[in-house]
Amino acid sequence: MAEEFEPKIVAFLCKWCSSAGSDLAGVSRMEYPYNVVPITVMCSGSISPLYILSAFSRGADGVLVSGCHPGDCHYIKGNFYARRRIALINKLLDFIGLEPQRFQMSWVSAAEGTKYTEIIKDFVKELKPLGPQTKLGRDL
Amino acid sequence: MKRTGVFICHCGINIAGTVDVKKVAKELSNHTGVVHSEEYIYMCSDPGQNLIIEAIKENQLDSVVVACCSPTLHETTFRNTVKSAGINPFQCEIANIREQCSWVHKDMEKATEKAIKLTKSAVERVHRNESLDPISIPVTRRALVVGGGIAGIQSALDLANSGYEVILVERSPSIGGHMIQLSETFPTLDCSQCILTPKMVEVSKHPKIKLLTYSEIQDISGYVGNFKVKILKKPTYVDPDKCTLCDECTKVCPVVVPNEFDLGLTGRRAVYMPFPQAIPATYTLDIKSCPGLLPIACGKCADVCEPEAIDYDMKPEIVEEEVGAIIVATGFDLYDKELMAEYGHGKYADVLDGLQFERLCSASGPTTGKILRPSDHKEPKEVVFIQCVGSRDPELHCAYCSKICCMYTAKHAMLYKHHVPDGQAYIFYIDIRSGGKGYEEFVQRAVEEDGALYLRGKVSKIFEDKGKIKVWGVDTLSGKDIEIDADMVVLATAMRPSEGAEELAKKLKIALDKDGFLSEAHPKLRPVESVTPGMFLAGAAQAPKDIPEAVAQASGAAAKAIAILSQERLFHAPTVAKVNVNLCTGCGMCVHVCPYDSLSLKDGKAEVNEVLCEGCGTCSATCLRAAIEVKNLTPLQVNEMIGASLGG
Amino acid sequence: MVSLEDLKKEAKQILKENKVKYIIGYKKSTNGLMPVPAFIKEPEEVEKLVWDPTCVFNLTRYLVDEKRRKTKEKEPDERPVGLVVKGCDSRAINILLQEKFINREDVYLLGVSCENTGVLDEKKLTKKIKGEKVKKVEFDEKDNFIITTQEGKTKIPAKEILANRCLECKANFPVIYDVLLGEKAKRSIDNPFESIEKIESLSTEERWTFWKKQLDKCIRCYACRSVCPMCYCDECVADTISFAVTADTTAEEKAQKIKWVEKSPVSSENFIYHMVRAIHLAGRCIDCGECERACPLDIPLRFLNRKLEKEAKELFGFEAGFDPDQPSLISCFKDEDPEDFIR
Ligand SMILES: Cc1cc2nc3c(=O)[nH]c(=O)nc-3n(C[C@H](O)[C@H](O)[C@H](O)COP(=O)(O)OP(=O)(O)OC[C@H]3O[C@@H](n4cnc5c(N)ncnc54)[C@H](O)[C@@H]3O)c2cc1C
Ligand code: SF4
Ligand code: SF4
Ligand code: FES
Repeated sequence: MAEEFEPKIVAFLCKWCSSAGSDLAGVSRMEYPYNVVPITVMCSGSISPLYILSAFSRGADGVLVSGCHPGDCHYIKGNFYARRRIALINKLLDFIGLEPQRFQMSWVSAAEGTKYTEIIKDFVKELKPLGPQTKLGRDL
Repeated sequence: MKRTGVFICHCGINIAGTVDVKKVAKELSNHTGVVHSEEYIYMCSDPGQNLIIEAIKENQLDSVVVACCSPTLHETTFRNTVKSAGINPFQCEIANIREQCSWVHKDMEKATEKAIKLTKSAVERVHRNESLDPISIPVTRRALVVGGGIAGIQSALDLANSGYEVILVERSPSIGGHMIQLSETFPTLDCSQCILTPKMVEVSKHPKIKLLTYSEIQDISGYVGNFKVKILKKPTYVDPDKCTLCDECTKVCPVVVPNEFDLGLTGRRAVYMPFPQAIPATYTLDIKSCPGLLPIACGKCADVCEPEAIDYDMKPEIVEEEVGAIIVATGFDLYDKELMAEYGHGKYADVLDGLQFERLCSASGPTTGKILRPSDHKEPKEVVFIQCVGSRDPELHCAYCSKICCMYTAKHAMLYKHHVPDGQAYIFYIDIRSGGKGYEEFVQRAVEEDGALYLRGKVSKIFEDKGKIKVWGVDTLSGKDIEIDADMVVLATAMRPSEGAEELAKKLKIALDKDGFLSEAHPKLRPVESVTPGMFLAGAAQAPKDIPEAVAQASGAAAKAIAILSQERLFHAPTVAKVNVNLCTGCGMCVHVCPYDSLSLKDGKAEVNEVLCEGCGTCSATCLRAAIEVKNLTPLQVNEMIGASLGG
Repeated sequence: MVSLEDLKKEAKQILKENKVKYIIGYKKSTNGLMPVPAFIKEPEEVEKLVWDPTCVFNLTRYLVDEKRRKTKEKEPDERPVGLVVKGCDSRAINILLQEKFINREDVYLLGVSCENTGVLDEKKLTKKIKGEKVKKVEFDEKDNFIITTQEGKTKIPAKEILANRCLECKANFPVIYDVLLGEKAKRSIDNPFESIEKIESLSTEERWTFWKKQLDKCIRCYACRSVCPMCYCDECVADTISFAVTADTTAEEKAQKIKWVEKSPVSSENFIYHMVRAIHLAGRCIDCGECERACPLDIPLRFLNRKLEKEAKELFGFEAGFDPDQPSLISCFKDEDPEDFIR
């Protein structure tokens, strides 16, 4: 039998909430799929749409962007800017025909280890039936 | 090409139990730019750290990645380690292979694979890290306090007594704030003026305090440690040095306007002293009520002033000061009369607010401490007190609880009974909130010793009828309708941020909460700091508070300010934004998004104020030209990290 | 009606008065169907000027060259450039102002209204008149164009030859100008995003097939970027080895450049290039349609920009190019911005 498809996911997590939330999941020993490799950035507001496109072109099967809940951003308003910027790239990815499941955004606070775990589990579950992402992947 | 060393920690079995650390070390040793790679049981232990130091020396490493627990735990540890081996601390990065890997996975092979990606990602990052030194800022070791109520007074005295110069700016002609208007204070019923005036005098006499009354903040620039403040000193037209307080001027002044200190229960002249204990002790000519100085319409006061203290030519003055820290203590105001028309406030003379009642009780008040009705100066025999007027009413008024009204209403009922032993006090309430040392006992005393009758329920209607004020309401406990023929009604109106707080907050660039009170940086952990470094909050400006709380916060704010002022220099993380002027087109989008106002346009290019920048990177994601980036987490670095994370 | 004579008169006047250093307008092409840019310095030359629905170019792009030239000059001529602008072009001016690329006093705007019509699509027109030389294009004020060729006059319904963008344009008169020629006639369009909605209604896979077919054609000639008035960056993030690299650029500096997009015109890179471009134009594209017109392979590039224009409007109530003082789309936010896509 062929091996089950294991999606590769890059997760951009803001340092103060989402990365801290994933640390909490760790401290609480909550198990979740290992498909996600997190990249901790300072704030969701620093995540450029280019990061997301770059991840897809480098073969990511899914990309997650996660920051603090509105009003909780360590830098006061970074996540509000992120929300706008990411909404646009999200719509564009959908418009060109990338499966909408492949790109996700979430608010995960430092206390939401469980939520982080759930998001990863769901994400992996939704990506598995889609198979590898080849549309934007670079095969040079 | 950098010479990077990679150190993988077993963390006992915490990491090594799930991640094949040997394999990670081996894989990484093959990675470009990695010249040394090893694992050890506890990297953070002394031998572990020594091992890093040895490896740095032996292999001439210029950068280090430690794959271990979350950077929140040991990033500082390892940065100090590399520093002691002579490497810039910013050449050390952490790969979190515990919280984000070994602790959440079980499958050794797959967890190892992920740990390799995480570590390579950190290596890619460190390869392009710059060596950085903390940004150092000199500190102007003086403070500004805005607002001269009890909170501002306390902060100013604490700072001054610690040896720092303080500029205390008060908008009205005297310091004292609302506390000076109070009669006696809960829960001990000591006389408010008796405990406050010594402090006011201390302020005026303190060699370290520069008091600017009748003054307002006009402009603030700069940043923590180095603020520049412009203060507008309004003309009082009376030279305090010449004025002998003879009071001749008020005798001839023909104008009478409501006296703010007595909340309109008495009148004052256009030239006046706010109250006998005012600090500074001098007169003020209120230009708004004077019939005119340009040209002189009346001139009587100057005529009678023998020491020639009255100077009609006095001009507004701009005072410029440099300070290192700012405390904002602008206090509160009571909710507008007009907005409370449903309770007849402002319509019926005998419907008063709490502060007016304080003045009636006060020995220095309009009735010299006798409680008399404003309408006919008769002693009221039945008084209705209504709590939560405008508070806890999200639909029509303020959603929040004003916190102090339960307590001062109990106090009012007591004081009333002490003045009018045969009178009856009724109190309409929603519930009684008396948390605080001695507070619950205080309310009980009002009920048990002074016979205050608490009625749980809301008032439905208030109207005047044959010299009485009829109060209709429902007692929700008994379900009965209540009708009281009161002689006087006292409203415990909501506290709101003081007039002009919003404007001031804009100048200071500190945030307001949804109710317009000044926002603290964190509701639990940073309750006296504003989000702007170097600016602190004290007293009722931040939220409704009573005196002990205002004083406690004021001392807290002073301590926070001293933490800055006691330093010669401040240090700031150097991972800040930097602009590539060749690419910048000067569109100003980054300037607009920066939450800290750290960017500006100069000669058509963006410029970073490194002291203000917190390194959030919002600017860099906004810039369409990739012309601005945050040091040591640049788009180039992130892009390489993306590659490594995907195993490429 | 915009009168060409009025336009010439205005142009002559400002040149005579030395108010502008030169005027950029349209003149007849010697061999092509559509007029070409005219750079007019002398009052006598204004006779060359033309204005009719074949004046498709967005001349604001020339301000980019003008600015580059000016920054190099030692003693630059500080007088403004005169510019003929249509509705869409004028919105481009607003964006350039908003982004401080130009100052208001750098331009003198001769606004011309499209008055209920718009400009023609060269390809559509060519098909209709089958290679004949066009002498005159008139609008009959009723929804038809009267095209005069050697062969005589033909009446063609406007819908059939108007440029795609004009069919969806609801602000077909200048929003910023120094003189306005013609009426500010507002046009009512049922659904300005009809074409976008058609694509949206396709399934994900159908959309993918559509775009794959279109974008696979791209040869990365960058014509779209070269005509776009908003693509004025000295160095494009999608192609970092362009302008800002000089002879002095060291290998190390080159290594510091990110390659978000590879140069080769393969499918994946074409997608990333066009998506980067679209996302960078979000809230800035004013739909002048130049990219689509310039594309030698007829890729419907407008759709990408229009899609984000639609989202900006629907999600954030944002419209580009109407107010030079508003903050740009991505440098502001509202508390109530939608977040139903966020978990
Ligand atoms: C009816 C009533 C009874 C009370 N009874 C009691 C009691 O018995 N016990 C108790 O503990 N508490 C009591 N309180 C609460 C007490 O009054 C407050 O806790 C206290 O006054 C808060 O002090 P503060 O310095 O924060 O504000 P404030 O007293 O309001 O002082 C603020 C000062 O700042 C000045 N200011 C405002 N804006 C500016 C500006 N822009 N620039 C310069 N200066 C400015 C104002 O003029 C004022 O002098 C009572 C309150 C009320 C309303
Ligand atoms: S956003 Fe970019 S181009 Fe615009 S001013 Fe800032 S750094 Fe310069
Ligand atoms: S990194 Fe953040 S704080 Fe620093 S300049 Fe950019 S937006 Fe402002
Ligand atoms: S710090 Fe978490 S979103 Fe800004």
